[in-house]
Amino acid sequence: MGVETILLLIAMACGFYMAWSIGANDVANAMGTSVGSGALTVKRAVILAAVLEFAGAFFVGTHVSETIRKGIISPNLFIGNEFDLVYGMIGALLAAAIWLQVASYFGWPVSTTHSIVGAVLGFGVLYGGMHAADWEKVSFIVASWVVSPLLCGTISFTLFTFLRHLIYDSDDPVGKAKRVTPYLVFVVFMVLTLTMVFKGLKNLKLDLDVTDSLLVAAAVGLVAAFVSRFLVARIKAPPMEDRIVVRQPTAVSKGVSKALTNLQKVAEQARGEVQEQVLTMVRDLEALDKDVVAGTTVEQTSQEHRTVERIFVYLQILSAGFVAFAHGANDVANAVGPLAAVITILNTGQVAMKSAVPLWVLGLGGVGIIIGLSTWGWRVMLTIGKKITELTPTRGFSAEFAAATTIVVASKLGLPISTTHTLVGGVLGVGLARGISALNLRVVTNIVISWIITIPAGAVGAIAFYYMLKAIFG
Amino acid sequence: MRVLDSLFAKSPFAPLQSHMEKVAACVQKVEEMFQAYVNQNFDEMDRIADEISALEHAADLTKNDIRNNLPKGLFLAVNRGDLLEILGLQDDIADMAEDIGGMMTLKRLEPLEGIEADLKIFLDKNIEAATQAHNIIRQMDELLSASFGGKEAEKVKEMIEHVAYLEHEADILQRNLSKKLYNMDDKLSYSSFALWVNVLQSVASLGNLAEKLANRVRMLLELK
Repeated sequence: MGVETILLLIAMACGFYMAWSIGANDVANAMGTSVGSGALTVKRAVILAAVLEFAGAFFVGTHVSETIRKGIISPNLFIGNEFDLVYGMIGALLAAAIWLQVASYFGWPVSTTHSIVGAVLGFGVLYGGMHAADWEKVSFIVASWVVSPLLCGTISFTLFTFLRHLIYDSDDPVGKAKRVTPYLVFVVFMVLTLTMVFKGLKNLKLDLDVTDSLLVAAAVGLVAAFVSRFLVARIKAPPMEDRIVVRQPTAVSKGVSKALTNLQKVAEQARGEVQEQVLTMVRDLEALDKDVVAGTTVEQTSQEHRTVERIFVYLQILSAGFVAFAHGANDVANAVGPLAAVITILNTGQVAMKSAVPLWVLGLGGVGIIIGLSTWGWRVMLTIGKKITELTPTRGFSAEFAAATTIVVASKLGLPISTTHTLVGGVLGVGLARGISALNLRVVTNIVISWIITIPAGAVGAIAFYYMLKAIFG
Repeated sequence: MRVLDSLFAKSPFAPLQSHMEKVAACVQKVEEMFQAYVNQNFDEMDRIADEISALEHAADLTKNDIRNNLPKGLFLAVNRGDLLEILGLQDDIADMAEDIGGMMTLKRLEPLEGIEADLKIFLDKNIEAATQAHNIIRQMDELLSASFGGKEAEKVKEMIEHVAYLEHEADILQRNLSKKLYNMDDKLSYSSFALWVNVLQSVASLGNLAEKLANRVRMLLELK
């Protein structure tokens, strides 16, 4: 076996391991809430996530993969010493993977994206000095790490506030929820399709121009919206349950109202002390009337709120799927980017600036994610789902839709961002709109700290492994 | 992943509601206490006073548990200060109920001819105010699901105004009742008279605290 084959196998193993750990840890964020609320069984969630992760990775994963492969450090630096790049990229994969294991053992909120970017960047700078890195690109990337949670939070805040006013301010929350669902479905499917076809994969003939993309996306959105109208119409409000201990039958509330009207007439005509006494009785009866009315209304509202949440369960599943798609698109690059660089060099002997990431490498990354998801990720899904009961469907939909949109836009722009941190931003946005009882802001502090530590940690690891590999194979 | 899990903190709203259930139980006992007094059943009154104390202590444990789980780094759906104030007011109502229970067992109170009916009406009015405040707190989870706005907030606002009205009625009743009490002091021993004055004050406080509590909840609402 030649040195090149061994290196290729090592690279593929590392890349596969990275992809596996992405599937095992991160995907649960998208699907966890749907599993926890009982909307999806674990099996269905895994299948749905697997299909969408792969789709996202395959159809939209090239852009970010390209950034990691050659956008951060210039491969031209390695002309003449191509194998150094191979050692470096493999080193980066190893360093990122090990750092992730350490961080998850200690419970630190470290992201796969930051680890790999830090590792690649660190290796490049330590190898070729400060001008080895494309600092303009790097600053864009780092800026996107801060912007993505903020943007996501803004979108989720706006969306949830809009939904709140639309649904909870109206007299017919259930009806409003039913009517808004097709529009939301339309938007989700339109954005999803748009990302796939606008500047999509050229070799699959998915590269459409602006007008065509919009037309196709709108068409898909309309079909989906139409289907959703049918599905939503079938949801009926379940029968009323006893919510308060004492419940007045309708005869009582009617009787009280009638008595009140009669007594008010009497009060107008009575004179002297009798009028005083009747007026007191009228006041008491008014209070009683209010109580009785309030009694029946209490049940109605809680019933309505529950039905609204039931309608949004399906929207939440949709948005969770959307997040899985976006996640595949953005995170597959963490495994595939360095791997693609290695494969290009080992196959062609050149650093090959122009050629795109091979499709089969993207597919390999997708498969790795799926295997990680089905072997370990489902367990994490169950755990998360049980604990995040606060994220009711309306909230979950707002946060996840915002996250998916942010992540998928970043993926199209070729910016590697952390899906977990973006989702945190989305949840905080909903919290700001008073959608969640209590949020722990320390998590935000921990996340910022993790940003600062991860880059040097990844860089040091990458360089260490680079020297090791160079010593063994060089 | 653990990040998302640690982002969600324990909600204080469910414990707040369960605390109010215990407070309401204390208030219910005061009604029983008065019934026992009317029946001149002093052993029963002592027993009820003990029960109120036990209930109030249980409520205190819940209260402390809530306070322990509200660090400053928590971002709540409502103002943290408002929430703690509401909890404090709920606690004050329970304390007041306990005080009334204790006071009424300090001596064997004779029946008060002439004003017993007024006394009952006055007590009922205040207890009703407290019960309505309880109903408002029971709406907390609905308010949360509507993000403290919309139709739900409008409904709770109506309930709050009702409590204020009840308290106003209680004030009128208190004045009339106190007038009668102060004019029959020659029929009562000094200690009984003083005790009744204190009991009336405390019962009136139940209504006042209920109104304060209701108004504090009003501050959480987003009304148009």
